[in-house]
Amino acid sequence: MPPKFNPIKMLFNSIEFLIFFPIVTLLFYLMPHKWRWLMLLAASCFFYMWFIPKYILILLITILIDYSAGILIEKWKDDIPRKKSCLVISIVSTCLVLFIFKYLNFCSANLVALAQHFGWSHPQKILDIALPIGLSFHTFQSLSYVIEVYRGNQKAERHFGYYALYVMFYPQLVTGPIERPQNLLRQLHEQKELQYDNIANGLRLILFGLFLKMVVADNLGAYVDKIYENPFAYSSGDILLGMLFYSFQIYGDFFGYSTIALGCALTMGFTLMDNFKTPYLSGSIQEFWRRWHISLSTWFRDYLYIPLGGNRVTIPRWALNTLIVFTVCGIWHGANWTFMIWGFTYGVLLILERGLRNIHLFDKIEGKTGRTIINICNVAKTFVIVTLLWSVFRATSFGNLHDLFTALFHNGAMNNQLQVAPIAWIALTLFIITDILIRKSRFDVWCGQQKTLVRWCIYTFLLFAIIALSSVEQIPFIYFQF
Amino acid sequence: MTDTKKHIINKLLVRVLVLLAVLAVLDIIYYFTLYKKDLDENTTLMEISQRANKGIDIVYLGESSNFSYAETDTDRRFICMMIEDSLPGHRVGNLSKGACHAGIYYDILRNIPKNSDVKTAIVTVNMRSFTSEWIYSNLETPLRKEQIMLKKAPALYKRMLLAFKAYPIWTEKERSTLIRRGFKRQTFVLPHPFPYRNANEWDHGVGYNCILYNGVQPSMDSIALACHHIKHFACTLDDKNPRIKDFDKIVKLCKKRGWQPVFNILAENVDQIDSLCGPDLLYLLEQNVKYVTDRYESQGVIVVNNLRAVRDADFFDRDFPTEHYRQTGRQAVAKNVSETLKKRLY
Repeated sequence: MPPKFNPIKMLFNSIEFLIFFPIVTLLFYLMPHKWRWLMLLAASCFFYMWFIPKYILILLITILIDYSAGILIEKWKDDIPRKKSCLVISIVSTCLVLFIFKYLNFCSANLVALAQHFGWSHPQKILDIALPIGLSFHTFQSLSYVIEVYRGNQKAERHFGYYALYVMFYPQLVTGPIERPQNLLRQLHEQKELQYDNIANGLRLILFGLFLKMVVADNLGAYVDKIYENPFAYSSGDILLGMLFYSFQIYGDFFGYSTIALGCALTMGFTLMDNFKTPYLSGSIQEFWRRWHISLSTWFRDYLYIPLGGNRVTIPRWALNTLIVFTVCGIWHGANWTFMIWGFTYGVLLILERGLRNIHLFDKIEGKTGRTIINICNVAKTFVIVTLLWSVFRATSFGNLHDLFTALFHNGAMNNQLQVAPIAWIALTLFIITDILIRKSRFDVWCGQQKTLVRWCIYTFLLFAIIALSSVEQIPFIYFQF
Repeated sequence: MTDTKKHIINKLLVRVLVLLAVLAVLDIIYYFTLYKKDLDENTTLMEISQRANKGIDIVYLGESSNFSYAETDTDRRFICMMIEDSLPGHRVGNLSKGACHAGIYYDILRNIPKNSDVKTAIVTVNMRSFTSEWIYSNLETPLRKEQIMLKKAPALYKRMLLAFKAYPIWTEKERSTLIRRGFKRQTFVLPHPFPYRNANEWDHGVGYNCILYNGVQPSMDSIALACHHIKHFACTLDDKNPRIKDFDKIVKLCKKRGWQPVFNILAENVDQIDSLCGPDLLYLLEQNVKYVTDRYESQGVIVVNNLRAVRDADFFDRDFPTEHYRQTGRQAVAKNVSETLKKRLY
């Protein structure tokens, strides 16, 4: 009897996926349009069940709730109280699943701590359950459907298979991009023809995504782990380097995953939304959040920030809205106070940024060079802030964070211990160069604009780097835990 | 099929062919540039195979049981050295590595240079290596990772398998679930009614009740030790066991390469097993030794049964079942092996 879960996970950078992906793509084009949804749904189920099979039931429950809610909301479109209660039931039940699996233990542990603080006895009940892969992502995708149907922007999907596929579409099932029904559900119904450009661009994206994950993120990740595991063993320089590496590790890791997801979908003719647009070239925190994890930040904008009043409220109310949205965004990432503080700090920074907007310190500087210098300074300032905040995000606890900063400020005299392999530096440099090159267009488009020989040199290099220069250590996708 | 589709497919096929050519060139580049470094960094097994150099006619494949641990040992020689010393005119190559098992021995043997002088392969049979406790141990992942670079395949392909993590990676929770499930599958048969059907039940029975087979209520340390013994030995071997399949492959390989296989069944702490777990576990252990002996003797393998060769006092570790012997224990095992070889082979 085979084990009930597979020891070799079907990650995008696994050998199983290298077999799964071409088979599914080939079957997709071989099948007549009317059966493609079934094949894709079966493939998506297979993909999901490769992790922990029984968790498909959780997904099925969410799908059933929101599918029914969508139909009922549309049916009662003129009966506002019923329509609203239907929306509320759908949101609460979908979020309840998320709460049980992701936040229940966290809440329980904090209640116990609080009870102990006041000297009350409170038995701690810990649920021994693993977090279903990508739960936060498909929960949000499901919610976006119900809300859009409620708002009348999307017709309720009557075909259960298509709706299930919208939630489970394998390229973006586990870590997004968090799609909107207007984009993905519509495309799932469309008949996709075999197009050379889609295949070529999709494969380019997959190649580039694998490079980002396996060569850049994983090669840097090994050093980051060492630093965060035992910060006191390293000098201040090492720790700063570790923090810098983590900024690029998390970017390479998540950008890589999203790029592969986009590529897989594109080979079948589906266009998913871009999740990143050179975020580290942002001149402000606000700009950073327009370019980082776009599908999540726009989700919060559309479904939380605007319903709270958005910009069209008094300044104190706007500040409160901003704090709420970013704190929730922090909690979304994980059940840990560090995530909450990380999100809250971004909220505070955005408020400060808006407050300082009217102070025009550099307005007198004129000329292209002057403006360029200011832009570079702004980019550097934003990057430093983002990097500092990533350390809050990466720390396993406040204790870990405290250790990191204590070591940072006390180990200045210590000799550097971190022996960084040349490949890590090369990967980092190439990543920065590529990020600058693709600031105006996506990698696949930029690559397609190059001459054939240059293009093939790029493919050859990426292929060689992925196979021969990637890390041999198992470093999971960071966003898988969310 | 429309002309447009045909055109696209032709275009894609041409690119696939170019890609294959590119990969072939990359394989050559990789082989001459980074392969050696990757081999050194990612596997020690190839180096172990290469130890069977010219002049060595006997190879000894073992795990940690081969080595010396006790500071008080005046004779720090490994078992393989003792065997060599008692077989004048023969040279024994040490192809041992800690935590190894038959699957790894097979790969080490397979990579012994074709022009070696090896005539005899002594392979240790660790009776603990057959249950799930070892099969899914946390030492398995690094070993399986090491095996990848030993595959008979183009260098770039092997590096790709390494890059794409084509080996099992378990979390601690998954590993413990696998072990428990494995136990449930590895049922055992005793000649009389017995309250437990598998190691899982037996382990739980002893662990929860904190009572030994004879009704004695010992210290928690003794209970833990009894449970360890149960988890390592309570099974009935059959040809579905992955380690048995590995030993079968070793026998086939030895026949193919013209080597005489010698299986050295390691000594276990039967005194401790008897006192903590009683005659039932000992019976199972004896039956499994008999299974291995009968199965492989009939295939032309010389099987040396050392199960009872070392007494309790000669085991170095006291709180976990291991095959780490003091010098007298190693000497006893080595003596049995060399005498059997003298009698049946030389």
